Amino acid sequence: MDIIVTLKQVPDPEAPKETFRIDESGMKILNPPNIDPVINGYDENAIEAALQLKEAAGGKVVAVSMGETGATRALKQAMAMGVDEGILLQDESFADADAASTAYVLARAIEKIGSYGLILCGRQASDWDQSQVPSGIAELLGLPSVTAVQKVALQGDTVRVERILEDGYEVLDIHGPCVVTVSNEANKPRYPTLKGIMTAGKKQIPVWDAAELGVDAAQVGSAGALTRVSKLYVPSFDGDCEFIAGETPEEMGANLALRLRELKII
Amino acid sequence: MEPIALDQLTDIDSMLTDDERLTRDTVRQFVAEKYLPIVGEHFEAHTFPDHLVSEIAGLGLLGASIKGYGCAGVNAVTYGLILQELEYGDSGLRSFVSVQGSLAMYAIYRFGSEAQRQHWLPRMARGEAISCFGLTEPDSGSDPGAMRTTARPDGDAYVLNGSKMWITNSPVCDVAVVWAKLAADDHQTVRGFLVERDTPGFDTPSILRKMSMRASHTGEIVLSDCRIPKENLLPASRGLGSPLACLNQARFGVSWGVMGAARACFDSALDYSRSRVQFGVPIGSKQLIQEHLVDMAVEIAKGQLMNVHFARLKDEGRLTPYQVSMAKKNNVRQALAIARKARSIHGASGISLEHAPIRHLLNLESVYTYEGTDEIHTLVLGRALTGLDAF
Ligand SMILES: Cc1cc2nc3c(=O)[nH]c(=O)nc-3n(C[C@H](O)[C@H](O)[C@H](O)COP(=O)(O)OP(=O)(O)OC[C@H]3O[C@@H](n4cnc5c(N)ncnc54)[C@H](O)[C@@H]3O)c2cc1C
Repeated sequence: MDIIVTLKQVPDPEAPKETFRIDESGMKILNPPNIDPVINGYDENAIEAALQLKEAAGGKVVAVSMGETGATRALKQAMAMGVDEGILLQDESFADADAASTAYVLARAIEKIGSYGLILCGRQASDWDQSQVPSGIAELLGLPSVTAVQKVALQGDTVRVERILEDGYEVLDIHGPCVVTVSNEANKPRYPTLKGIMTAGKKQIPVWDAAELGVDAAQVGSAGALTRVSKLYVPSFDGDCEFIAGETPEEMGANLALRLRELKII
Repeated sequence: MEPIALDQLTDIDSMLTDDERLTRDTVRQFVAEKYLPIVGEHFEAHTFPDHLVSEIAGLGLLGASIKGYGCAGVNAVTYGLILQELEYGDSGLRSFVSVQGSLAMYAIYRFGSEAQRQHWLPRMARGEAISCFGLTEPDSGSDPGAMRTTARPDGDAYVLNGSKMWITNSPVCDVAVVWAKLAADDHQTVRGFLVERDTPGFDTPSILRKMSMRASHTGEIVLSDCRIPKENLLPASRGLGSPLACLNQARFGVSWGVMGAARACFDSALDYSRSRVQFGVPIGSKQLIQEHLVDMAVEIAKGQLMNVHFARLKDEGRLTPYQVSMAKKNNVRQALAIARKARSIHGASGISLEHAPIRHLLNLESVYTYEGTDEIHTLVLGRALTGLDAF
């Protein structure tokens, strides 16, 4: 079965927190200057899931990413891990997209790729944590979708997934093409191998722009956005440390409980 | 002001291709996730994390620069970056990969028969056959021409006698590349031989009580009437130039590796100097500490620049042994100085295995000596500059 994986490049969540920057007026999260952006962590789980399915059942894995030129590095990394092809979706008009206009461009690209039995996405992206794009893609393509799975397997054309619930998981069978979002419980993404890096290095990454995709200019980027960020700021937290006294640990515990109740925390 | 990361300051990445950076970042991540959490324990226990070998092989790091035979065939910069990141972990980890790839696999690749390459290289690349490289002897170190190990032709076999000392990986090797003389008094007759683990008369006792390279296997090779088939001669090996050609590969890698060790010490010292408060302020706000940090950073930048330059020359087939001597000598010496400064910035904590510098400092004492001592590389360069032999 051919599988399409969607990828997003995000600021490295492992970056020290003092390097976190936003552009308040432009309402953007800025990539810290010294630290390369990385593939969104959950997307790496989606890649790994796709590669395991390919190893078990054959087929081809194609990765698509909408982003700046730098996103070719994310696609190359996916290819170095074993993804067969990468496609970059890039156009000036795609800038400042929200979840809806991103899903629109990705859906058009997926239609253009054409052959697929399964679309795998990360359950959410670590920059905005919205989890909207995959459902948007499913909606636009008229496909069933299941979010946040910890396991995906293929039985012929049926996709069997374990969807994570608060107190367990449910097993779902989906027939025919569908969108599935993968959670970190699913696997531990592999490292790219040297041979993979070299093979990927030699492959070209096609860039599809608005014209190539034949998209409606009113539906992409900021023009097509259905949501608008009205304020973006880094909240400030004030810490205050209070020591609870008591003769014995038991007494300290009791005093702590009283104090917490006084503060209406419990 | 906001601090600027050293890599950003030097913009080292601008000299690297995307593939080179991805390889470096992958190995860096592997070392951070799989190796750094356990290296202190292994160093203390005098053990090597053998369980990581299959993963190291899986990434393609064994014999990475060899073309074909299941190896990736990466360029010299990529190979250097791999070793740099491995030695960020520990010189013992880098030594393992250097010996397997640059010394033993390279010896078979360069001097072996096609049958030997086909037989050994793929399984060595997969980490299924561990190898070592036996040149040094109890009475012959810097002067390998004085080696006493001999190989006596006897019918369809060679009979090896002698002993090798300070051999990385020997206690765990499946196959040893052993250098021996066909005629005891003639170093022109040095040849390479493959000796397999189960051969009678082949023994590899461990060298214990090391205070350096504790997270690495080091041992002897004892050969007593060790009879190996004639086909185990490396047919293209001829004279001392052959092992020296292998060492030249490995030395190039050492120049890169030690910059990783230096970098680990620098990172640790930088962190510590910003968080350790004395006299009411972080010690990093003191000029004397800053001078140490700056000296370290500048030497790392210089060492890395020399490495990239020489690696590009290597890829063009223009690297000379003199340049390798220059890089090995300078970079090891500087790494050692950096490790010592970093150790002192950590104060008493600096003698604890909780922090990297003391481990690197101890390891680098070995690296200063092996792959040609600092003095020997000085003599090589001195001879090159003056035309006068001072050996
Ligand atoms: C951890 C470790 C791992 C090793 N792994 C291997 C391995 O895998 N395979 C292998 O074959 N060997 C290995 N070695 C051995 C290493 O290559 C030798 O130790 C090195 O070549 C130096 O030889 P030596 O110890 O006999 O010192 P010597 O040659 O005896 O030197 C002693 C001192 O004299 C100096 N000196 C020697 N000659 C001169 C001169 N002409 N002028 C001025 N000074 C001189 C040296 O620089 C040194 O300071 C390893 C060593 C260590 C410590």
